[in-house]
Amino acid sequence: MTWAIEVNNLNVWYGDKHILKNISFKIPKNIIFAIMGPSGCGKSTLLRAMNRLLELNPHARVEGQVRIDGIDVYNDNVDITWVRRQFGMVFQIPNPFPHLSIYENVALGPKLNGLVKNKSQLDELVKQALEQAYLWDEVKNDLKKPASMLSGGQQQRLCIARALALKPKIVLMDEPTANLDPVASSKIEELMLELKENYTIIIVTHNPQQAARISDYVAFLYMGELIEIGETSMVFTRPRHELTEKYVVGRMG
Amino acid sequence: MLGTISLLATISAIPIFMIIINIYSEGLRYVSLSFLIDFPPPPIGGKAGGIGPALAGSLILMSLALMIGGCIGFFTGLYLSEFSHTKLAQYTQLFLQIMVEFPTIIIGLFAYSILVVPLKRFNAFAGAFALSVVIIPYIALNVREAYKSIPYSLKEAAFSLGISHPKAYLRVLLSAARRGVLTALLIGMAKAAGETAPLLFTILGTSFSYFEGLDKPINAIPLLIYNFALSPYERWHQVAWGASAILLSIILAIFVISRIVVKEVKI
Repeated sequence: MTWAIEVNNLNVWYGDKHILKNISFKIPKNIIFAIMGPSGCGKSTLLRAMNRLLELNPHARVEGQVRIDGIDVYNDNVDITWVRRQFGMVFQIPNPFPHLSIYENVALGPKLNGLVKNKSQLDELVKQALEQAYLWDEVKNDLKKPASMLSGGQQQRLCIARALALKPKIVLMDEPTANLDPVASSKIEELMLELKENYTIIIVTHNPQQAARISDYVAFLYMGELIEIGETSMVFTRPRHELTEKYVVGRMG
Repeated sequence: MLGTISLLATISAIPIFMIIINIYSEGLRYVSLSFLIDFPPPPIGGKAGGIGPALAGSLILMSLALMIGGCIGFFTGLYLSEFSHTKLAQYTQLFLQIMVEFPTIIIGLFAYSILVVPLKRFNAFAGAFALSVVIIPYIALNVREAYKSIPYSLKEAAFSLGISHPKAYLRVLLSAARRGVLTALLIGMAKAAGETAPLLFTILGTSFSYFEGLDKPINAIPLLIYNFALSPYERWHQVAWGASAILLSIILAIFVISRIVVKEVKI
Protein backbone atom coordinates (compact mmCIF):
# COMPACT_ATOMS: atom_id res chain seq x y z
CA MET A 1 0.00 0.00 0.00
CA THR A 2 1.29 3.48 -0.80
CA TRP A 3 0.59 6.02 1.87
CA ALA A 4 -0.54 9.57 1.32
CA ILE A 5 1.92 10.77 3.90
CA GLU A 6 4.38 9.13 6.28
CA VAL A 7 5.84 11.02 9.19
CA ASN A 8 8.84 9.50 10.98
CA ASN A 9 10.32 10.76 14.23
CA LEU A 10 9.42 14.32 13.56
CA ASN A 11 10.74 16.84 16.07
CA VAL A 12 10.29 20.59 15.92
CA TRP A 13 11.87 23.29 18.04
CA TYR A 14 11.23 27.03 18.19
CA GLY A 15 14.52 28.24 19.55
CA ASP A 16 15.02 26.10 22.67
CA LYS A 17 11.39 25.18 22.98
CA HIS A 18 10.60 21.60 21.99
CA ILE A 19 7.25 21.88 20.22
CA LEU A 20 6.74 18.50 18.55
CA LYS A 21 8.22 15.38 20.10
CA ASN A 22 8.95 12.23 18.08
CA ILE A 23 5.81 12.28 15.98
CA SER A 24 5.36 9.21 13.75
CA PHE A 25 2.32 8.11 11.79
CA LYS A 26 1.15 7.24 8.32
CA ILE A 27 -2.20 7.66 6.67
CA PRO A 28 -3.79 6.21 3.52
CA LYS A 29 -4.92 8.23 0.51
CA ASN A 30 -8.34 9.79 -0.14
CA ILE A 31 -9.39 10.11 3.45
CA ILE A 32 -9.99 12.96 5.84
CA PHE A 33 -7.44 12.88 8.61
CA ALA A 34 -8.17 15.12 11.57
CA ILE A 35 -5.50 16.30 13.99
CA MET A 36 -7.18 17.44 17.20
CA GLY A 37 -5.95 18.70 20.52
CA PRO A 38 -6.12 21.67 22.86
CA SER A 39 -4.67 25.05 21.84
CA GLY A 40 -0.91 25.18 21.88
CA CYS A 41 -0.46 21.41 21.51
CA GLY A 42 1.44 21.81 18.22
CA LYS A 43 -1.31 20.99 15.71
CA SER A 44 -0.68 23.93 13.42
CA THR A 45 3.06 23.43 13.69
CA LEU A 46 2.67 19.81 12.60
CA LEU A 47 0.70 20.93 9.56
CA ARG A 48 3.34 23.51 8.63
CA ALA A 49 6.13 21.00 9.11
CA MET A 50 4.54 18.84 6.40
CA ASN A 51 4.66 21.46 3.63
CA ARG A 52 7.73 23.18 5.07
CA LEU A 53 5.87 26.45 5.52
CA LEU A 54 7.37 26.35 9.00
CA GLU A 55 10.62 27.56 7.50
CA LEU A 56 9.16 31.06 7.16
CA ASN A 57 9.84 31.22 10.87
CA PRO A 58 13.60 31.68 11.20
CA HIS A 59 13.62 30.23 14.71
CA ALA A 60 12.03 26.92 13.75
CA ARG A 61 14.20 23.80 13.51
CA VAL A 62 12.99 20.46 12.21
CA GLU A 63 14.38 16.94 12.51
CA GLY A 64 12.89 13.74 11.12
CA GLN A 65 11.17 12.72 7.92
CA VAL A 66 7.97 13.56 6.12
CA ARG A 67 7.41 11.34 3.08
CA ILE A 68 4.90 11.92 0.33
CA ASP A 69 4.81 9.17 -2.30
CA GLY A 70 7.97 7.85 -0.69
CA ILE A 71 9.92 11.09 -1.14
CA ASP A 72 11.23 12.76 2.00
CA VAL A 73 10.36 16.45 1.75
CA TYR A 74 13.36 17.26 3.94
CA ASN A 75 15.85 15.55 1.64
CA ASP A 76 18.53 18.00 0.50
CA ASN A 77 17.81 17.27 -3.14
CA VAL A 78 14.16 18.16 -2.84
CA ASP A 79 13.14 21.66 -3.89
CA ILE A 80 11.10 23.47 -1.25
CA THR A 81 8.80 25.09 -3.82
CA TRP A 82 8.00 21.62 -5.22
CA VAL A 83 7.16 20.43 -1.72
CA ARG A 84 4.78 23.31 -1.13
CA ARG A 85 3.04 22.71 -4.45
CA GLN A 86 2.25 19.12 -3.44
CA PHE A 87 0.08 20.56 -0.70
CA GLY A 88 -2.77 23.00 -0.99
CA MET A 89 -3.15 24.98 2.20
CA VAL A 90 -6.18 26.63 3.76
CA PHE A 91 -5.72 28.79 6.84
CA GLN A 92 -7.59 29.59 10.00
CA ILE A 93 -8.41 33.15 9.00
CA PRO A 94 -9.72 33.35 5.43
CA ASN A 95 -6.80 35.08 3.75
CA PRO A 96 -7.49 35.76 0.08
CA PHE A 97 -5.22 38.44 -1.36
CA PRO A 98 -7.49 41.43 -0.70
CA HIS A 99 -6.01 43.57 -3.45
CA LEU A 100 -6.59 40.94 -6.13
CA SER A 101 -9.79 40.01 -7.91
CA ILE A 102 -11.61 36.74 -7.28
CA TYR A 103 -10.27 35.39 -10.57
CA GLU A 104 -6.69 36.48 -9.87
CA ASN A 105 -6.71 34.91 -6.42
CA VAL A 106 -7.26 31.50 -7.99
CA ALA A 107 -5.20 32.12 -11.13
CA LEU A 108 -2.10 33.43 -9.38
CA GLY A 109 -0.66 30.09 -8.23
CA PRO A 110 -0.99 28.28 -11.58
CA LYS A 111 0.26 31.36 -13.42
CA LEU A 112 3.38 31.88 -11.28
CA ASN A 113 4.15 28.18 -11.36
CA GLY A 114 3.69 27.87 -15.11
CA LEU A 115 1.03 25.17 -14.78
CA VAL A 116 -0.90 26.45 -17.78
CA LYS A 117 0.07 27.32 -21.34
CA ASN A 118 -2.46 29.97 -22.26
CA LYS A 119 -5.33 32.12 -21.08
CA SER A 120 -8.07 29.68 -22.04
CA GLN A 121 -6.39 26.87 -20.09
CA LEU A 122 -6.09 29.22 -17.13
CA ASP A 123 -9.75 30.24 -17.41
CA GLU A 124 -10.71 26.58 -17.46
CA LEU A 125 -8.55 25.78 -14.44
CA VAL A 126 -9.95 28.71 -12.46
CA LYS A 127 -13.49 27.65 -13.28
CA GLN A 128 -12.77 24.05 -12.33
CA ALA A 129 -11.22 25.06 -8.99
CA LEU A 130 -14.10 27.39 -8.15
CA GLU A 131 -16.59 24.65 -9.03
CA GLN A 132 -14.78 22.17 -6.82
CA ALA A 133 -14.92 24.70 -4.01
CA TYR A 134 -18.71 25.15 -4.45
CA LEU A 135 -18.17 28.80 -5.25
CA TRP A 136 -18.52 29.07 -9.03
CA ASP A 137 -22.27 29.69 -9.14
CA GLU A 138 -22.02 32.47 -6.58
CA VAL A 139 -19.16 34.36 -8.21
CA LYS A 140 -19.19 33.54 -11.91
CA ASN A 141 -20.52 37.02 -12.77
CA ASP A 142 -18.20 38.82 -10.35
CA LEU A 143 -14.83 37.29 -11.23
CA LYS A 144 -13.27 40.71 -11.76
CA LYS A 145 -14.43 42.07 -8.42
CA PRO A 146 -12.08 42.21 -5.45
CA ALA A 147 -11.99 39.18 -3.19
CA SER A 148 -12.57 41.43 -0.19
CA MET A 149 -16.21 41.91 -1.19
CA LEU A 150 -17.02 38.24 -0.44
CA SER A 151 -18.46 37.04 2.87
CA GLY A 152 -16.22 35.17 5.31
CA GLY A 153 -17.51 31.77 4.25
CA GLN A 154 -17.13 32.66 0.57
CA GLN A 155 -13.63 33.95 1.19
CA GLN A 156 -12.70 30.66 2.82
CA ARG A 157 -14.09 28.71 -0.15
CA LEU A 158 -12.12 31.03 -2.42
CA CYS A 159 -9.02 30.06 -0.45
CA ILE A 160 -9.92 26.41 -0.96
CA ALA A 161 -10.23 27.07 -4.70
CA ARG A 162 -6.85 28.84 -4.63
CA ALA A 163 -5.34 25.76 -2.99
CA LEU A 164 -7.00 23.32 -5.40
CA ALA A 165 -5.86 25.28 -8.46
CA LEU A 166 -2.32 24.10 -7.75
CA LYS A 167 -3.53 20.53 -8.34
CA PRO A 168 -2.06 19.34 -5.04
CA LYS A 169 -1.94 15.77 -3.76
CA ILE A 170 -2.86 16.71 -0.23
CA VAL A 171 -4.99 19.54 1.12
CA LEU A 172 -3.96 20.94 4.50
CA MET A 173 -6.59 22.79 6.46
CA ASP A 174 -5.69 24.69 9.61
CA GLU A 175 -8.94 25.11 11.58
CA PRO A 176 -10.72 26.25 8.42
CA THR A 177 -14.04 26.87 10.13
CA ALA A 178 -12.81 28.46 13.36
CA ASN A 179 -13.79 31.94 12.21
CA LEU A 180 -17.00 31.08 10.38
CA ASP A 181 -20.65 30.97 11.40
CA PRO A 182 -22.36 27.54 11.69
CA VAL A 183 -23.98 27.67 8.25
CA ALA A 184 -20.76 28.59 6.49
CA SER A 185 -18.92 25.96 8.56
CA SER A 186 -21.26 23.15 7.60
CA LYS A 187 -20.88 24.12 3.95
CA ILE A 188 -17.11 23.76 4.26
CA GLU A 189 -17.54 20.38 5.98
CA GLU A 190 -19.82 19.15 3.19
CA LEU A 191 -17.25 20.34 0.70
CA MET A 192 -14.48 18.41 2.44
CA LEU A 193 -16.45 15.18 2.22
CA GLU A 194 -16.81 15.79 -1.51
CA LEU A 195 -13.14 16.63 -1.97
CA LYS A 196 -11.78 13.45 -0.42
CA GLU A 197 -12.79 11.60 -3.60
CA ASN A 198 -9.84 13.29 -5.28
CA TYR A 199 -7.57 14.46 -2.50
CA THR A 200 -6.23 13.45 0.85
CA ILE A 201 -7.33 16.02 3.38
CA ILE A 202 -5.56 16.77 6.62
CA ILE A 203 -7.49 19.07 8.91
CA VAL A 204 -6.44 20.58 12.19
CA THR A 205 -9.28 21.24 14.58
CA HIS A 206 -9.70 22.12 18.23
CA ASN A 207 -13.25 20.84 18.05
CA PRO A 208 -13.61 17.07 18.70
CA GLN A 209 -17.20 17.08 17.41
CA GLN A 210 -15.99 18.33 14.07
CA ALA A 211 -13.34 15.60 13.94
CA ALA A 212 -15.98 13.00 14.79
CA ARG A 213 -18.36 14.31 12.09
CA ILE A 214 -16.06 14.39 9.13
CA SER A 215 -12.86 12.46 9.61
CA ASP A 216 -11.96 8.87 8.78
CA TYR A 217 -8.76 8.90 10.80
CA VAL A 218 -7.99 11.02 13.78
CA ALA A 219 -4.94 11.84 15.85
CA PHE A 220 -4.92 13.35 19.31
CA LEU A 221 -2.02 15.64 20.06
CA TYR A 222 -1.22 16.81 23.56
CA MET A 223 1.68 19.04 24.56
CA GLY A 224 3.65 18.17 21.45
CA GLU A 225 3.17 14.43 21.74
CA LEU A 226 1.05 12.15 19.63
CA ILE A 227 -1.12 10.48 22.27
CA GLU A 228 -3.33 8.41 20.04
CA ILE A 229 -4.08 7.83 16.37
CA GLY A 230 -6.54 5.53 14.66
CA GLU A 231 -9.81 5.18 12.83
CA THR A 232 -12.15 7.90 14.01
CA SER A 233 -14.91 5.50 15.09
CA MET A 234 -12.45 3.57 17.26
CA VAL A 235 -10.82 6.59 18.85
CA PHE A 236 -14.14 8.12 19.78
CA THR A 237 -15.87 4.97 21.03
CA ARG A 238 -12.96 3.12 22.57
CA PRO A 239 -10.07 5.48 23.24
CA ARG A 240 -6.99 3.64 24.47
CA HIS A 241 -5.56 6.53 26.39
CA GLU A 242 -7.09 8.27 29.35
CA LEU A 243 -6.16 11.73 28.03
CA THR A 244 -7.91 11.04 24.75
CA GLU A 245 -11.03 9.97 26.57
CA LYS A 246 -11.03 13.13 28.65
CA TYR A 247 -10.60 15.23 25.53
CA VAL A 248 -13.29 13.61 23.38
CA VAL A 249 -15.94 13.76 26.09
CA GLY A 250 -15.14 17.43 26.54
CA ARG A 251 -13.53 17.42 29.97
CA MET A 252 -10.42 19.04 28.56
CA GLY A 253 -10.42 21.87 26.11
CA MET B 1 -4.92 72.17 30.24
CA LEU B 2 -6.58 70.84 27.13
CA GLY B 3 -7.03 74.39 25.92
CA THR B 4 -3.33 75.10 26.30
CA ILE B 5 -2.36 71.97 24.43
CA SER B 6 -4.80 72.74 21.63
CA LEU B 7 -3.41 76.24 21.38
CA LEU B 8 0.17 74.98 21.20
CA ALA B 9 -0.81 72.45 18.55
CA THR B 10 -2.40 75.21 16.51
CA ILE B 11 0.63 77.44 16.93
CA SER B 12 2.95 74.70 15.70
CA ALA B 13 0.96 74.42 12.48
CA ILE B 14 1.02 78.16 11.80
CA PRO B 15 4.50 78.33 10.18
CA ILE B 16 3.51 76.05 7.31
CA PHE B 17 0.68 78.37 6.33
CA MET B 18 2.84 81.44 6.75
CA ILE B 19 5.54 79.88 4.59
CA ILE B 20 3.11 78.93 1.86
CA ILE B 21 1.46 82.35 1.86
CA ASN B 22 4.78 84.13 1.97
CA ILE B 23 6.42 82.16 -0.82
CA TYR B 24 3.44 82.29 -3.13
CA SER B 25 2.70 85.98 -2.55
CA GLU B 26 6.32 86.90 -3.24
CA GLY B 27 7.04 84.36 -5.96
CA LEU B 28 3.95 83.52 -7.99
CA ARG B 29 3.89 86.87 -9.80
CA TYR B 30 7.13 85.97 -11.61
CA VAL B 31 5.94 82.52 -12.70
CA SER B 32 4.78 82.01 -16.26
CA LEU B 33 5.25 79.36 -18.91
CA SER B 34 8.35 81.11 -20.25
CA PHE B 35 9.69 81.32 -16.68
CA LEU B 36 9.77 77.50 -16.64
CA ILE B 37 11.70 77.27 -19.91
CA ASP B 38 13.90 80.35 -20.31
CA PHE B 39 17.46 80.88 -19.23
CA PRO B 40 17.99 83.17 -16.23
CA PRO B 41 18.18 86.86 -17.06
CA PRO B 42 21.41 88.80 -17.08
CA PRO B 43 21.82 90.80 -13.86
CA ILE B 44 20.90 94.00 -15.61
CA GLY B 45 18.93 94.59 -18.82
CA GLY B 46 17.60 91.99 -21.24
CA LYS B 47 14.47 89.79 -20.84
CA ALA B 48 12.79 88.73 -17.59
CA GLY B 49 14.25 85.23 -17.95
CA GLY B 50 13.45 81.98 -16.17
CA ILE B 51 14.71 78.84 -14.53
CA GLY B 52 14.59 76.38 -17.44
CA PRO B 53 18.01 74.72 -16.96
CA ALA B 54 17.61 74.47 -13.19
CA LEU B 55 14.12 72.95 -13.47
CA ALA B 56 15.35 70.44 -16.05
CA GLY B 57 18.41 69.75 -13.90
CA SER B 58 16.26 69.16 -10.83
CA LEU B 59 14.06 66.71 -12.74
CA ILE B 60 17.13 64.88 -14.08
CA LEU B 61 18.77 64.71 -10.65
CA MET B 62 15.52 63.55 -9.03
CA SER B 63 15.06 60.81 -11.62
CA LEU B 64 18.64 59.62 -11.30
CA ALA B 65 18.54 59.69 -7.51
CA LEU B 66 15.26 57.80 -7.54
CA MET B 67 16.68 55.22 -9.95
CA ILE B 68 19.82 54.60 -7.89
CA GLY B 69 18.53 55.28 -4.39
CA GLY B 70 15.10 53.82 -5.12
CA CYS B 71 16.50 50.44 -6.22
CA ILE B 72 19.04 50.16 -3.44
CA GLY B 73 16.63 51.52 -0.84
CA PHE B 74 13.80 49.24 -1.91
CA PHE B 75 15.81 46.02 -1.74
CA THR B 76 17.47 47.10 1.48
CA GLY B 77 14.05 47.77 3.02
CA LEU B 78 12.75 44.42 1.83
CA TYR B 79 15.74 42.70 3.39
CA LEU B 80 15.34 44.61 6.66
CA SER B 81 11.72 43.54 6.87
CA GLU B 82 11.94 39.91 5.85
CA PHE B 83 15.32 38.95 7.28
CA SER B 84 15.11 41.09 10.39
CA HIS B 85 16.44 38.23 12.52
CA THR B 86 19.87 38.37 10.84
CA LYS B 87 22.76 40.32 12.35
CA LEU B 88 23.33 41.98 8.98
CA ALA B 89 19.78 43.35 8.95
CA GLN B 90 19.99 44.55 12.53
CA TYR B 91 23.25 46.43 11.96
CA THR B 92 22.12 47.79 8.59
CA GLN B 93 18.99 49.16 10.17
CA LEU B 94 20.98 50.81 12.92
CA PHE B 95 23.33 52.44 10.40
CA LEU B 96 20.43 53.65 8.27
CA GLN B 97 18.77 55.20 11.31
CA ILE B 98 22.00 57.05 12.01
CA MET B 99 22.28 58.10 8.37
CA VAL B 100 18.82 59.66 8.43
CA GLU B 101 20.20 62.08 10.99
CA PHE B 102 23.39 62.81 9.06
CA PRO B 103 23.93 66.45 8.07
CA THR B 104 23.49 66.28 4.32
CA ILE B 105 26.30 68.74 3.74
CA ILE B 106 28.67 66.04 4.92
CA ILE B 107 27.27 63.67 2.31
CA GLY B 108 27.84 66.42 -0.25
CA LEU B 109 31.45 66.76 0.83
CA PHE B 110 31.89 63.01 0.62
CA ALA B 111 30.56 62.99 -2.96
CA TYR B 112 32.87 65.92 -3.72
CA SER B 113 35.92 64.04 -2.53
CA ILE B 114 35.21 60.79 -4.36
CA LEU B 115 33.50 62.01 -7.55
CA VAL B 116 34.43 65.66 -8.13
CA VAL B 117 38.08 65.77 -7.11
CA PRO B 118 39.18 62.75 -9.21
CA LEU B 119 37.31 64.05 -12.27
CA LYS B 120 38.63 67.56 -11.66
CA ARG B 121 35.18 68.88 -12.55
CA PHE B 122 31.81 69.47 -10.92
CA ASN B 123 29.40 66.99 -12.46
CA ALA B 124 25.76 65.95 -12.50
CA PHE B 125 26.51 62.39 -11.49
CA ALA B 126 28.20 63.48 -8.26
CA GLY B 127 25.02 65.39 -7.38
CA ALA B 128 22.77 62.44 -8.22
CA PHE B 129 25.04 60.18 -6.19
CA ALA B 130 24.92 62.50 -3.15
CA LEU B 131 21.13 62.75 -3.39
CA SER B 132 20.88 58.95 -3.67
CA VAL B 133 22.90 58.54 -0.50
CA VAL B 134 20.63 61.04 1.24
CA ILE B 135 17.38 59.31 0.24
CA ILE B 136 18.41 55.65 0.61
CA PRO B 137 17.78 55.49 4.38
CA TYR B 138 14.38 57.19 4.03
CA ILE B 139 13.28 54.81 1.30
CA ALA B 140 14.72 51.70 2.97
CA LEU B 141 13.15 52.39 6.36
CA ASN B 142 9.78 53.19 4.82
CA VAL B 143 9.81 50.16 2.51
CA ARG B 144 10.64 48.08 5.57
CA GLU B 145 7.53 49.44 7.29
CA ALA B 146 5.46 48.73 4.19
CA TYR B 147 6.49 45.06 4.06
CA LYS B 148 6.25 44.69 7.84
CA SER B 149 2.65 45.85 7.68
CA ILE B 150 1.60 42.91 5.47
CA PRO B 151 -0.33 40.47 7.69
CA TYR B 152 1.62 37.28 8.39
CA SER B 153 -1.29 35.19 7.11
CA LEU B 154 -0.89 36.80 3.67
CA LYS B 155 2.80 35.94 3.64
CA GLU B 156 1.94 32.36 4.49
CA ALA B 157 -0.67 32.37 1.73
CA ALA B 158 1.89 33.62 -0.78
CA PHE B 159 4.53 31.03 0.11
CA SER B 160 1.98 28.20 0.32
CA LEU B 161 1.59 28.64 -3.46
CA GLY B 162 4.98 27.00 -3.87
CA ILE B 163 6.75 30.02 -5.34
CA SER B 164 10.28 31.30 -4.90
CA HIS B 165 11.22 34.18 -2.60
CA PRO B 166 11.60 36.73 -5.45
CA LYS B 167 8.21 35.78 -6.88
CA ALA B 168 6.53 35.90 -3.48
CA TYR B 169 8.01 39.26 -2.52
CA LEU B 170 7.87 41.00 -5.89
CA ARG B 171 4.88 39.51 -7.67
CA VAL B 172 2.48 38.74 -4.85
CA LEU B 173 3.35 40.70 -1.73
CA LEU B 174 4.61 43.87 -3.43
CA SER B 175 1.10 44.61 -4.59
CA ALA B 176 -0.14 44.10 -1.04
CA ALA B 177 2.46 46.62 0.14
CA ARG B 178 2.33 48.84 -2.93
CA ARG B 179 0.90 51.91 -1.25
CA GLY B 180 3.54 51.91 1.46
CA VAL B 181 6.26 51.34 -1.11
CA LEU B 182 4.93 54.11 -3.32
CA THR B 183 4.81 56.45 -0.35
CA ALA B 184 8.42 55.55 0.44
CA LEU B 185 9.47 56.44 -3.10
CA LEU B 186 7.50 59.70 -3.01
CA ILE B 187 9.14 60.68 0.27
CA GLY B 188 12.49 59.98 -1.39
CA MET B 189 11.49 62.12 -4.37
CA ALA B 190 10.44 65.04 -2.19
CA LYS B 191 13.71 64.79 -0.30
CA ALA B 192 15.72 64.69 -3.54
CA ALA B 193 13.78 67.66 -4.92
CA GLY B 194 14.35 69.87 -1.91
CA GLU B 195 17.88 69.15 -0.74
CA THR B 196 20.46 71.89 -1.30
CA ALA B 197 23.47 70.93 0.78
CA PRO B 198 24.41 67.73 -1.13
CA LEU B 199 24.54 69.80 -4.31
CA LEU B 200 26.69 72.69 -3.08
CA PHE B 201 30.00 70.95 -3.71
CA THR B 202 28.95 68.62 -6.49
CA ILE B 203 27.09 70.18 -9.41
CA LEU B 204 28.35 73.80 -9.42
CA GLY B 205 25.00 75.15 -10.59
CA THR B 206 25.54 76.37 -14.10
CA SER B 207 22.45 78.31 -15.08
CA PHE B 208 23.21 79.17 -18.64
CA SER B 209 23.04 75.84 -20.42
CA TYR B 210 20.72 72.84 -20.45
CA PHE B 211 21.87 69.29 -19.62
CA GLU B 212 25.18 68.50 -21.33
CA GLY B 213 26.02 65.11 -19.86
CA LEU B 214 26.41 63.35 -16.56
CA ASP B 215 30.06 64.34 -16.32
CA LYS B 216 29.29 68.05 -16.77
CA PRO B 217 27.97 70.62 -14.31
CA ILE B 218 24.22 70.99 -13.99
CA ASN B 219 21.86 73.17 -11.97
CA ALA B 220 18.99 72.44 -9.62
CA ILE B 221 16.26 74.68 -8.27
CA PRO B 222 17.33 74.73 -4.61
CA LEU B 223 20.88 75.58 -5.60
CA LEU B 224 19.67 78.30 -7.98
CA ILE B 225 17.60 79.80 -5.18
CA TYR B 226 20.64 79.76 -2.91
CA ASN B 227 22.95 81.34 -5.47
CA PHE B 228 20.53 83.93 -6.79
CA ALA B 229 19.21 84.96 -3.40
CA LEU B 230 22.75 85.67 -2.27
CA SER B 231 23.51 87.79 -5.34
CA PRO B 232 23.33 91.59 -5.18
CA TYR B 233 20.92 91.85 -8.16
CA GLU B 234 17.24 92.58 -7.76
CA ARG B 235 16.41 90.65 -10.97
CA TRP B 236 18.00 87.55 -9.61
CA HIS B 237 16.17 87.92 -6.31
CA GLN B 238 12.93 87.88 -8.30
CA VAL B 239 13.98 84.71 -10.12
CA ALA B 240 14.83 83.14 -6.76
CA TRP B 241 11.34 83.97 -5.45
CA GLY B 242 9.73 82.49 -8.54
CA ALA B 243 11.90 79.39 -8.26
CA SER B 244 10.89 79.04 -4.60
CA ALA B 245 7.23 79.04 -5.62
CA ILE B 246 7.95 76.29 -8.17
CA LEU B 247 9.92 74.21 -5.66
CA LEU B 248 7.19 74.54 -3.07
CA SER B 249 4.64 73.49 -5.67
CA ILE B 250 6.67 70.37 -6.54
CA ILE B 251 6.91 69.38 -2.87
CA LEU B 252 3.21 70.07 -2.22
CA ALA B 253 2.24 68.07 -5.33
CA ILE B 254 4.29 65.09 -4.15
CA PHE B 255 2.72 65.40 -0.72
CA VAL B 256 -0.83 65.54 -2.10
CA ILE B 257 -0.19 62.50 -4.32
CA SER B 258 1.18 60.53 -1.40
CA ARG B 259 -1.84 61.45 0.74
CA ILE B 260 -4.20 60.25 -1.97
CA VAL B 261 -2.20 57.05 -2.23
CA VAL B 262 -2.16 56.43 1.52
CA LYS B 263 -5.82 57.22 2.00
CA GLU B 264 -6.75 54.24 -0.13
CA VAL B 265 -5.03 51.77 2.17
CA LYS B 266 -7.57 49.13 3.00
CA ILE B 267 -5.90 45.93 4.13
